[in-house]
Amino acid sequence: MKINPLQRQLNLLDYALSSLWRRRMKNGAILAIFAFVIFLLGSFQLLSQTLQSSAEELLAFAPDITIQSLVAGRQTPIAANKIRELADMYGITASSPRIWGYYFDHDNGANYTVLGLTEEEIGAMTGVILESGRLPGAPGEVAVSPAVRQSLDLAGRSAFSLFRPDLSQASFKVSGLFSRETDIVTGDIILMSLADARHLFAMPEDMVTDIGVKVANPVEIDNVARKIAGRFPETRVLTRAQIRKTYQVVFGWRSGFGSVCLLAALASFVILASDKASGLSREEKREIGILKFLGFQTTDILALRFWESVVVAGLAFLIGLSLAYVHVAFFDGGLFKPVLVGWSVLRPDLSLAPSLNGADLLLIFSWSVLPYLAATIIPAWRSAVIRADTVV
Amino acid sequence: MRPSFYLFMLLLLIAAIDGSLLGAWRMGQEARAQAVAGRQAAVFAMGLTDLCVATEARYTRHPAVSDPVAPFMDHPGAIEHFPTGSLWRPVGLLAGS
Amino acid sequence: MAGHMGLDIELEEVRKIYNQGRANEVTALLSVSLRIAAGSMVCLRGPSGSGKSTLLSIIGCVFPPSSGRAVIGGRQISRLPDHFLGRYRRELIGFIFQRFNILPQLTVLENITLPLLPLGIPPKERQQRAAPLLEKFGIGHRVNFPAGQISGGELQRVAIARALINDPPYLLADEPTAHLDSHLSMEFMDMVSTLKRAGKTVVLTSHDPLVSDHAEIDRIIDIRDGRLV
Repeated sequence: MKINPLQRQLNLLDYALSSLWRRRMKNGAILAIFAFVIFLLGSFQLLSQTLQSSAEELLAFAPDITIQSLVAGRQTPIAANKIRELADMYGITASSPRIWGYYFDHDNGANYTVLGLTEEEIGAMTGVILESGRLPGAPGEVAVSPAVRQSLDLAGRSAFSLFRPDLSQASFKVSGLFSRETDIVTGDIILMSLADARHLFAMPEDMVTDIGVKVANPVEIDNVARKIAGRFPETRVLTRAQIRKTYQVVFGWRSGFGSVCLLAALASFVILASDKASGLSREEKREIGILKFLGFQTTDILALRFWESVVVAGLAFLIGLSLAYVHVAFFDGGLFKPVLVGWSVLRPDLSLAPSLNGADLLLIFSWSVLPYLAATIIPAWRSAVIRADTVV
Repeated sequence: MRPSFYLFMLLLLIAAIDGSLLGAWRMGQEARAQAVAGRQAAVFAMGLTDLCVATEARYTRHPAVSDPVAPFMDHPGAIEHFPTGSLWRPVGLLAGS
Repeated sequence: MAGHMGLDIELEEVRKIYNQGRANEVTALLSVSLRIAAGSMVCLRGPSGSGKSTLLSIIGCVFPPSSGRAVIGGRQISRLPDHFLGRYRRELIGFIFQRFNILPQLTVLENITLPLLPLGIPPKERQQRAAPLLEKFGIGHRVNFPAGQISGGELQRVAIARALINDPPYLLADEPTAHLDSHLSMEFMDMVSTLKRAGKTVVLTSHDPLVSDHAEIDRIIDIRDGRLV
């Protein structure tokens, strides 16, 4: 008799589905737990991938070279007039002094980034999207992000003051607000002129925290950096590539730690699954014996078990992953955000677009579905080799 | 109807949901590209070097300004302690101490 | 299928030893030679432990003999691997168990059409094949009942219907009346007799006189201690 292999598999699938359905409470619970584990794993992977890829695409526009001064291995202010000595170096298109510092707001625990740039540089800015107002022009004017404005509790006002090191107050006036769209890079920034920043931090005249350098040919960045380091041996010269690497390491640490915790959850689930599948009850043994007797082959029983596992694991994978996508795309990955973006008082509005790629899907698949299938293989084999004569 | 029919219907339903998610993603692509361009412009204009995440940890917000060994990173008044801060909310964050 | 009709069952010097070579070795059959004519109805009779169930299992292609020759439906089944035995079993043999071995969680229809699943027969055709049997055995109204919820008499008919779903030339039954009252036993024998008259070869094991003394039984084969008497 000619057997239609497709129809036969469909029949076996039907049988597998009805046995799953008969124990729907138990199998439903397994499906739900499995989907939840995949959801956690998938959200985490999606979120960290998305953050990393958006860091990548943004860091590509970071300054080519940053120069800082070191004393006793610690960073100290650097003289802004070094720029003049840089001007004649071949390959450098522009260099600018800047003050980049932190201001810790004791009242609410927020940590602002104070960024002081030269007036020329602020004046030449193009493409920075402001929600309202304009970039700082006059002394005392600053541009802040909406989150900073909220954190400073400005409400309708635009004037505020920050403490200088000697506890005298420096007054500022908000002239513009960064767009929420750029929150992920500007979320904690107070942008002001170099002179204002120097006043706020009480830094000596002509001193800045670092010097940003732009290089004409990206291939030459390392060469130029080496030349600068040669000319100013007392400085530390950072290239974009180095910063990027540091950044990846930090993210790798954070996401790696999270993944390990999640993998532990996954592992315990797999143990549970294999435990559940391995105990063949007398009922099951009898059922398989009858099936074998009625002409089911060992391969048919294996196929039955395989379909059961594939349906559970496949559905859990699809459901868990879809939920993970929704979680990251529409809820900013709320569950894992703290692990990856910290506990800061200032929370950027991530509005991330999950970056979907085959490698991630494959990774999640091979860390979830494959172990489950592997865990059910041996029990499946044990049940498939039950002999037909057990029922006689 | 055979049980596998219901399974296929369920798969179709999931495919439809995922398809519409994908469609929504596609539709938002242009807006996203614009937003990314805006961020890139901000990064370029202000010479930023990182994302504004974990601003309490100096090793994430602008790594360029941190020292090779950040002084007092783990001193009692530190805002964040590595690596605990990656997993736990900093203790006494709002104490102002 | 019709090709198998009219073929005798031939056993020559058939022996069966369980757990061969181990401490708990049991010899169940000692050199049995037997020929069962096609289209006849035969009763294997003997006390429990006599080897009649083992003999029925060899005829039913459940396992091959340890030695000797067994030809069922024109096919040598001695020393065949499980895989082929399974195939012959589903083509040649309809088997009715002592306790019927019906799966209680499946419906009557699902139970009856179970042997058709690995043959790749789609649901509609399965139903069509089951319909005449359901009608013949008067269980049409129970089609979608879980088999665990029907009466013993109905269960017996489901078991027969399942054995016949592949239209096999041989119908075997192991102590079919052991758990039935005399009324149901008679009913069973009548149903089996009808099948015999329709051309099936029927082999039963029993020590129930209701079975062995039935008018349609052509031959009684007595077994004791693994030998024909």
